[in-house]
Amino acid sequence: MISLTDFLVVSAVLFCVGLYMIVSKQNAIQVLIGIELMLNGAILNMVAFSKYDRINNGGQMFALFAIVLAAATTAVALAIILNVYKQYKTIDPGSINKLGD
Amino acid sequence: MNILTLLIFTPILVAFVIAVLPSSWRAGFKYITLATTLVQLGMSIWIYTQFKNGASFAGVNHEGQFQFMQKLPWINLDLGAMGKMQIDYFVGIDGLSIALLVMTSLVLVIAALASWEIKSNLKGFFVLFLILDMAVIGVFCSLDFFLFYIFYELMLLPLYFLIGMWGGARREYAAIKFFLYTLFGSVFMLLVMIGLYLSVKDPVTGNHTFSMIQMMNPANYESGSVFSVLSHATILGMPARTVGFVVLFIAFAIKVPVVPLHTWLPDAHVEAPTPVSIILAGILLKIGGYGIIRICVGIFPEIAHADAYWLGMIGVISIIYGALNALAQQDLKRMIAYSSVSHMGFVLLGIASMTTEGLSGAVMQMVSHGFLSTMLFFLAGVIYNRVHDRGINHFRGLAAIMPKYTSFVVIAFFASLGLPGFSAFIGEAFSLTGAFKSPSVNGLLPYWMPVCGSVGILLGAAYFLWTLQRMFFGTLNLKGGSVWKTALADLNIREKLTLLPLALLTLVLGLMPSLVFGKINDSVVAFIQFLGSK
Amino acid sequence: MNNFLQAIDTLTIKFTLAAVLLPLLAFLINLVIPGKHNKITGWVSTLAILFSCVLSATIFSKVWNTGHLVHQQFAWFTVGETQAYVGVLLNNLSVLMLLLVNLIALPVHIYSMAYMKDDAGYNRYFSFLSFFCFSMLALVVVDNLVLFYIAWELVGFSSYLLIGFWFSRHKAVQANKKAFIMNRIGDIGLLTAILIIYATFHTFDINILFGDHSIIKAITVYNRGEWYSPLTGSFTIPGVSYHLDDIWQFVAFIGIFLAVAAKSAQFPLHTWLPDAMEGPTSVSALIHAATMVAAGVFLLGRVYPMFNGIELNILAIVGCFTAFMAATVALTQNDLKRILAYSTISQLGYMVMAMGIGAYSSSLFHLVTHAFFKCLLFLVAGIVIHQMAHIRDDNKLDIDPQNIQNMGGLRKKMPLTFIAALIGGLALIGLPFTSGYLSKDGILIQAFQWSQGKGWLFMLIPAFAILTTWLTAFYVIRLITKVFFGDLKLRERFPNIKLHIGDGGWRYAVPLLFLAAGSLFPVFSFNPFSYEHSWLYHGMFQTGATAGEGLFHVIVPVGVNIFSVLVIYAAYRIYAKQKTNPFSQTSMLYRLSANEWYFDEIYKKYIVVPVLAMGRATFRLDRRVIDGFIHSVAYAGMALAKAAMWTDRYIIDGFLNLIVAVVQSIGNFARRFQGGKVQYYIYSMLVVILVIFILTTLI
Repeated sequence: MISLTDFLVVSAVLFCVGLYMIVSKQNAIQVLIGIELMLNGAILNMVAFSKYDRINNGGQMFALFAIVLAAATTAVALAIILNVYKQYKTIDPGSINKLGD
Repeated sequence: MNILTLLIFTPILVAFVIAVLPSSWRAGFKYITLATTLVQLGMSIWIYTQFKNGASFAGVNHEGQFQFMQKLPWINLDLGAMGKMQIDYFVGIDGLSIALLVMTSLVLVIAALASWEIKSNLKGFFVLFLILDMAVIGVFCSLDFFLFYIFYELMLLPLYFLIGMWGGARREYAAIKFFLYTLFGSVFMLLVMIGLYLSVKDPVTGNHTFSMIQMMNPANYESGSVFSVLSHATILGMPARTVGFVVLFIAFAIKVPVVPLHTWLPDAHVEAPTPVSIILAGILLKIGGYGIIRICVGIFPEIAHADAYWLGMIGVISIIYGALNALAQQDLKRMIAYSSVSHMGFVLLGIASMTTEGLSGAVMQMVSHGFLSTMLFFLAGVIYNRVHDRGINHFRGLAAIMPKYTSFVVIAFFASLGLPGFSAFIGEAFSLTGAFKSPSVNGLLPYWMPVCGSVGILLGAAYFLWTLQRMFFGTLNLKGGSVWKTALADLNIREKLTLLPLALLTLVLGLMPSLVFGKINDSVVAFIQFLGSK
Repeated sequence: MNNFLQAIDTLTIKFTLAAVLLPLLAFLINLVIPGKHNKITGWVSTLAILFSCVLSATIFSKVWNTGHLVHQQFAWFTVGETQAYVGVLLNNLSVLMLLLVNLIALPVHIYSMAYMKDDAGYNRYFSFLSFFCFSMLALVVVDNLVLFYIAWELVGFSSYLLIGFWFSRHKAVQANKKAFIMNRIGDIGLLTAILIIYATFHTFDINILFGDHSIIKAITVYNRGEWYSPLTGSFTIPGVSYHLDDIWQFVAFIGIFLAVAAKSAQFPLHTWLPDAMEGPTSVSALIHAATMVAAGVFLLGRVYPMFNGIELNILAIVGCFTAFMAATVALTQNDLKRILAYSTISQLGYMVMAMGIGAYSSSLFHLVTHAFFKCLLFLVAGIVIHQMAHIRDDNKLDIDPQNIQNMGGLRKKMPLTFIAALIGGLALIGLPFTSGYLSKDGILIQAFQWSQGKGWLFMLIPAFAILTTWLTAFYVIRLITKVFFGDLKLRERFPNIKLHIGDGGWRYAVPLLFLAAGSLFPVFSFNPFSYEHSWLYHGMFQTGATAGEGLFHVIVPVGVNIFSVLVIYAAYRIYAKQKTNPFSQTSMLYRLSANEWYFDEIYKKYIVVPVLAMGRATFRLDRRVIDGFIHSVAYAGMALAKAAMWTDRYIIDGFLNLIVAVVQSIGNFARRFQGGKVQYYIYSMLVVILVIFILTTLI
């Protein structure tokens, strides 16, 4: 029997892997992938916890909504990355430090 | 317009005029200054002739008896519960100040004439000179302690610059020494002055007051105040009034100067240019003596009475110590400076005797020393201007090439060493008379004191005659050889015109001392009575 | 009658004032007369003194022995309750002195016109001389002690000017300085005495203090010599009469004594007088022989009532010692004027001694006779010196014209001068028929009378006085023999010198004759052997002084004079041989005498040098201690300021800097988190969240 804990563990692993990718990768695309992984970890949590809402299936609904939204944001993010690349000829987030003071 | 106010503030107006005149007119500044001092002299002589004698004009501790008085409210602050702060512009003169006032005006004329030797930065010099002029006249006229203090401090500033900028080789040292010495005295004087202010109330207005005349009346002291006669307050374990007296005395003693507070004087005199030396010796020293009489002794009479022995002692020490020092000098100006210390010792001795003779002698000695030290410093300046040297051993036999100069030196030296017929004799003799009389009338001074004091007269003869013999007599022999011989021309017209009135004045005062005594006598008698009533 | 007397008095006073002020007028006129060598000045001064002389003779005739005191005063100035007066007091003593000064000054003036005629400072000379006459005349007529002191100092001052008349001579200016300073010692003594007297009795008036009804006499009698103040001032402590300790009465005496010793050249203040001979000889004759030096004795005469027995004894001892000491010194001197100077000191010693033994009138008598013959001797010396200087200049020699070793045989060239010298010399010795005999015998006789019954110690005084007389005889004859007898000693060294010398003109002769006449007995007494018959002695006679006939009146004059004649003969025999040094020059007594008893050396070593050293010491004290203290205060201030600066920089500023540094490092540390790297933000966010999480869990 697959318990709720197992889902949560998978989701935590996903989140951590995503987090790790965000802070460590030199490539914006990979960072984006990391964000997606974290997002999916979160979505998995929602689906897993939706067993407590059997009437409305709110979890699944939100998961779907989030997936759609994630797709959209990914598209936007890729566009930004593309523009960043145009501007800086790199997509290494470490070397893009114009946000700094 | 009050004549004293006019007398005090004329120079400052002229100083403004000189300050705004273009520097290209600088050749005229000395004439403007001279004219100013002459106008002042005219005014003081007018005051002298108008000055009324008689016991009802004695002044001293009666406000109504002062002459040429002007009293205007100056700084009035309502302090609410603390009453009103009242500082008056209050000037007036009595017998104690009139002689010194006239002497001051004359010395200023001579100093202006001596300023011909100043060649650099004329505008600055004469502006400072005139400020100094105002301050010294103001000191002798002020009857409000606060006003007095302002004038007193105001003297320091121009003097500091006059010595420090136009002086000799070690001028900065001398200027700072002079400044610090005097400031040391006057800072503590300020404290006592404030203490007195807080203790004294004007009986008419009921406010605290700075009026010296009110301070002389013990009834005006608030009960329980610091300096009240009755309250016996103490400062650091000593009676407050004694402390006040001593502090004021030190402040003025530095000016007089008395041993051991005198070492600023030789340095300042040696480094100062001739006109400043003249003002220093002729006027500044007298302010010390005047302050001791009117302020120290006047405000704290019973302390002065109790400590008269010590005053006399310091006077005698000054007389002998100054004379011995003068004997050891190799520099003409320094010798004269030390002789001033010795001569001013007689003033202190005369004051300490608390007799009419002694006090009159002290005032006479101050007037006489005013003229004589002026003359002596002017004479020293003459030779310094010619060859820029004042070493007594660097000259010999000057009488052969400068006979007129030598005659004036002989007159000045003999007048200073107390030859009868000159004013210094009257001053010294009556200071000593007072001191001799003191044991029999008030028992303040012992007999040996004037006896020791008269040894100073002997030493005076020794150092003056020795100098005369070394510098002026014998065969001509100059350190600078023939260059000096040509440079050492005899006196010119301006110098003769400067010296002649001084020589005549000291002679006239010696022959007719009533010119001074007649004017001061009532005040002196009143002052001694005032002291005696304590 | 009273009005009449008053009118006469007023006239007398006017005459006196004129007599005193005429020389002053001459002085003032001479000051403005142009040129350095204007003959008019000599005439102005001489005429002034001539008129003054006539006036004083008139005054003398009016006042002398009338028993009437002319005293008038005017207010001068007021100090407190003290009124100072200018006044004239004429009694026997003052009119006598007035006349004497004028009688001596007149011949000296005439003489000076010739004596100084080639001097560059002719004008100056006569100005000073007139000024001296003025102050000396003022000294004798003034009526109070203040004026007396003034005149006293003025004579000293004019003496200073005249001693240093040739101011380019080093020795002259040394001498006048010495004279003035030594006189100053006397001056302050006098001042002290005057002021003690004033402080006690509250008056300066000589007549009130020392006159016939003097308060001092009264007080001394009633209080056994102690002084009580008759003080009644407003400041006296009521009910307490002020009593002066007798020590201060004694101090007053010492003051008077110092004044007398300085002016009249008594031991210990006598050393200035021989040096004062550097002045022109005419000046020495007037000032340093006849008039000014007698002022000390005159002062004693004025204040005589204030002395008590012990003080009079001191005067007698000092006078006697001075007379003896100076006579011994005079024995060996070779400078003509120095010998005369020491003889002056010696004779003044007689006068002071006479005052001390109570021979008041004899003392003043001797003063008068001495003035004549000593002035005469000095004028003679002046002529001799001038002639020797002539010889020197004519032959271009390098000799001292005052050295008697160079002289000799001048008797033949200058007969008048010789006779004058002889008369003066014999009067100085005190041989009969001279005025000196009258006055000196009076002193000697009274000295014996005084010492009677007082013990042998007191006998020493008349004994030494007589010894001094014989010494005087010896040195006078030595002088006269060496100068006038034999042959000119210079010829031994310079055989070819030319001599063009003589007695000089009338300006020399008249004064000599006049003064020589004054040195003979008829002027003073018609009986040449008895001083008590002299009009002068009577005029001065004070009640209470010793008087009367006695054995001494015969023994003393006869004995003294017989031995004197022997001494004279011996001295003549010794010196007529014209050996340069008849006595051994190495004996101790000779050296003591020749070196003037070493007084100058002693004074220099024990007084002058220590005083100068003291002056330097006080100056060092000034420099090192007082200035050193001031400087150390200044340095301390500087050090304090430096310390404050250090504190400021390193502690107060340091604290501020520390805070700044801390804040800065914190800021730098925090800044690192905002490097613009998005991943850093996230990372740090993560860390913070973790920390918060861990903290919340722990707490």
